[in-house]
Amino acid sequence: MITTGSKYFYGVTALATIAMVLYMVLVNPNDIGAVALGSLASAAALLGGLTSFTRDSTAHTAKEAVAAAEQPAPAAVWPLIVAIGIVMLVFGIATNPIVFVLGIVALVAGGVEWLVQDYASRASSDSTFNSQLRGRLLHPLEFPVAAAVIVGIIAISFSRIMLNISKSAGAVVFIIVSSLILVVGFLVVLKPNMRGRAVGALCSVGAVALIGAGIVTGISGERAELVEAAEEDHYSHMACGAEADKYFDKHPNNAVSLKSATLATITVRDGKAVATLSGLDTPVETVTIPRSNNVQVLFRNMDTEEHRLVAELGEKTVADTGVKEKVEQCTQLTSEDQVNVLTLNIPKSSEAAGPYKFIVPGLEGQEIEVYVP
Amino acid sequence: MSRHAMSARNAHRVRALAITKLVGASIFLAGCAKDAPQDVFQPKGENAADINNLQYMVFGIAGVVGVIMTVLFVVTMTKFRDKGQPIPEQSHGKPALEITLTIIPALILSVVGVFTFRGVFDLAETKDTELVINVTGQQWWWEYDYPVQGDWGIDKPIITSGQLVMPAGTKVLIRETSRDVIHSYWIPALNGKRDAVPGRIHTLRLHADNPGIYAGQCTEFCGLSHGNMRMEAVALSKEDFATWVTNQQAAYKEPEKDSLAEQGEAVFLNQCVRCHQVNGLKKADGTAAIAAPDENVYAGAAPNLSKFMSRNTFAGATWDLLKKDCRGNVWDAKSEEFGAKYLEGVSADCLNEVDLRRWLRNAPAMKPMYADPTKLEPTDGKYRGMPYLALSESDIDKLVAYLLTLK
Repeated sequence: MITTGSKYFYGVTALATIAMVLYMVLVNPNDIGAVALGSLASAAALLGGLTSFTRDSTAHTAKEAVAAAEQPAPAAVWPLIVAIGIVMLVFGIATNPIVFVLGIVALVAGGVEWLVQDYASRASSDSTFNSQLRGRLLHPLEFPVAAAVIVGIIAISFSRIMLNISKSAGAVVFIIVSSLILVVGFLVVLKPNMRGRAVGALCSVGAVALIGAGIVTGISGERAELVEAAEEDHYSHMACGAEADKYFDKHPNNAVSLKSATLATITVRDGKAVATLSGLDTPVETVTIPRSNNVQVLFRNMDTEEHRLVAELGEKTVADTGVKEKVEQCTQLTSEDQVNVLTLNIPKSSEAAGPYKFIVPGLEGQEIEVYVP
Repeated sequence: MSRHAMSARNAHRVRALAITKLVGASIFLAGCAKDAPQDVFQPKGENAADINNLQYMVFGIAGVVGVIMTVLFVVTMTKFRDKGQPIPEQSHGKPALEITLTIIPALILSVVGVFTFRGVFDLAETKDTELVINVTGQQWWWEYDYPVQGDWGIDKPIITSGQLVMPAGTKVLIRETSRDVIHSYWIPALNGKRDAVPGRIHTLRLHADNPGIYAGQCTEFCGLSHGNMRMEAVALSKEDFATWVTNQQAAYKEPEKDSLAEQGEAVFLNQCVRCHQVNGLKKADGTAAIAAPDENVYAGAAPNLSKFMSRNTFAGATWDLLKKDCRGNVWDAKSEEFGAKYLEGVSADCLNEVDLRRWLRNAPAMKPMYADPTKLEPTDGKYRGMPYLALSESDIDKLVAYLLTLK
């Protein structure tokens, strides 16, 4: 028997199936979209079946059903949300994709809430039961979504604040906020009577303060050094000569996997560059690298002065212009006691041009020959 | 049951027992095979001997435990089998017995563990290395390159493939990596196996007591021709190794003018140099002919064929460059004569022309490789292994003549 509640799910099943068929015929039969629509149809059919089987979980007799239908529908905000969603969706198409996405979210969320609330409010003549039914259906969805939204707002607000204030002020703010949370936690534990409204008020004040500060700092923008560093775009123009950028990461390679099982280690100590091979403790004067193979070379700077390792890998001819240009790869500028990794993959033998070289700019006469057989 | 039926049943039992004995004896006797170059119980160097000593001890202990457990199992099964007797009195555990049965295996494993850990650390030792060789695995062959090492007269890196040449009585450290997938390097007579992993350098000690050839096999499934990815370690006396090094570093010798080999050099420059490097080979304009396997082969490298005929094998050590009798002459040589015979390389009389010509005619037909152009989409049209080159018989004649000069 098709009950009142199951009609909705059967309707969704029919629509999703039609949409899936049209999608497969008109767009792509193998695309993930068809799978999604098929899954939706299956899920809706399952829910419809369950709803029919349980006879809407509510009105069991015609008399009860009539009594339930006579209940006045409670006031709801969801039609307004759906209307706002439609407006945002249309407005977003013309203006901003974010508005469009938010419109879809509002439309879907408002629509689901509206449909379920309307269904639950007429489930029986008992309004308490109806309210519980609504909760049973929507709370598993509402609570995680609400938690995710709250955590997201807190994270975004906090990150805006931390990106706006100076590094040292950031540390102070972090200490104060975490201390406040700790103190409030202690108070809640030690004074059980304080629970309830007082805790709610405290949390509300904290949330308003955090969100307010987040909005203000978000409008104000990031601190000057972050803006300048972003404008430098250090990684798009890796310079192997003197460091041109003011802001660059001096500690970029801390991945253990890169630092183990390396081909060679180049160490700068007391102004001298020395190469050692993994598995050998004695220094070597030349390094041999198999061609067309990813290998890691470790660069360790033990001097007080900053250095970088540069691999000079011959020349190549630029296809369009015929101009010959140097082939170089280098590490970041590396400060004292820091380690960087240079990943090399050299497709061409050094047979024609003579050995390639490892050099450390600023250290004269410290070249290490690199052979690629 | 009738007498006839009982007789048939007994005959069936006797036959089953005879078959079981035959199979068991065959398996047992297989362990006595003499011509088993990859036998893990025949160490030919100190590292493999360390492993062998450990495995004898472990197998000995495991054998004794196995026999005791089997006897107990059989006795229990026969003595206490269901004969209709009443179920004996049941007791819940015997702490003394259980503690004893826990302590005894723990003690046995502790003894095994002590020797195993010591062996593992001994085999990982690299401080006493005397010679370093880089080994790179690729579908489906091994490349060996010898970094500059003045003590051994290696003033310029040497590169070869198929056969790893090393001095006997020397602590050799190989540094392994791979260009494509994980391979595993294993010369059972010289040490255990070690994986060659892309992007990583793994070390493995090799040591051969005496000159000779020691066979091995890739032991990590690596694709279509994994079974054809072999290797051979050739141990030479230190004097012979020095001779080999000198020869490998010798300058390229151009083929004689107006010879078939000279025409073969032109064919090589036209066809083979796209992937195969021969150090010292020059193009017609006098510039160095540099191979570009990175543009044609998925893994970015192909065997360097400099001094090709100083090796005994080709195509990932799968086929012999020597005829059968000539090969036997080298492989079966006495230790003191081995080096001189190996260093002779491959002469025209000893060349296994049949297999070499077959290879040049249609390599994918001999060794399964991804040579079908319709199946190269995942590799951007680049081959894995040597493709079919459609060489004419005339070109093959010329190439064989040319390759014979690479010595």
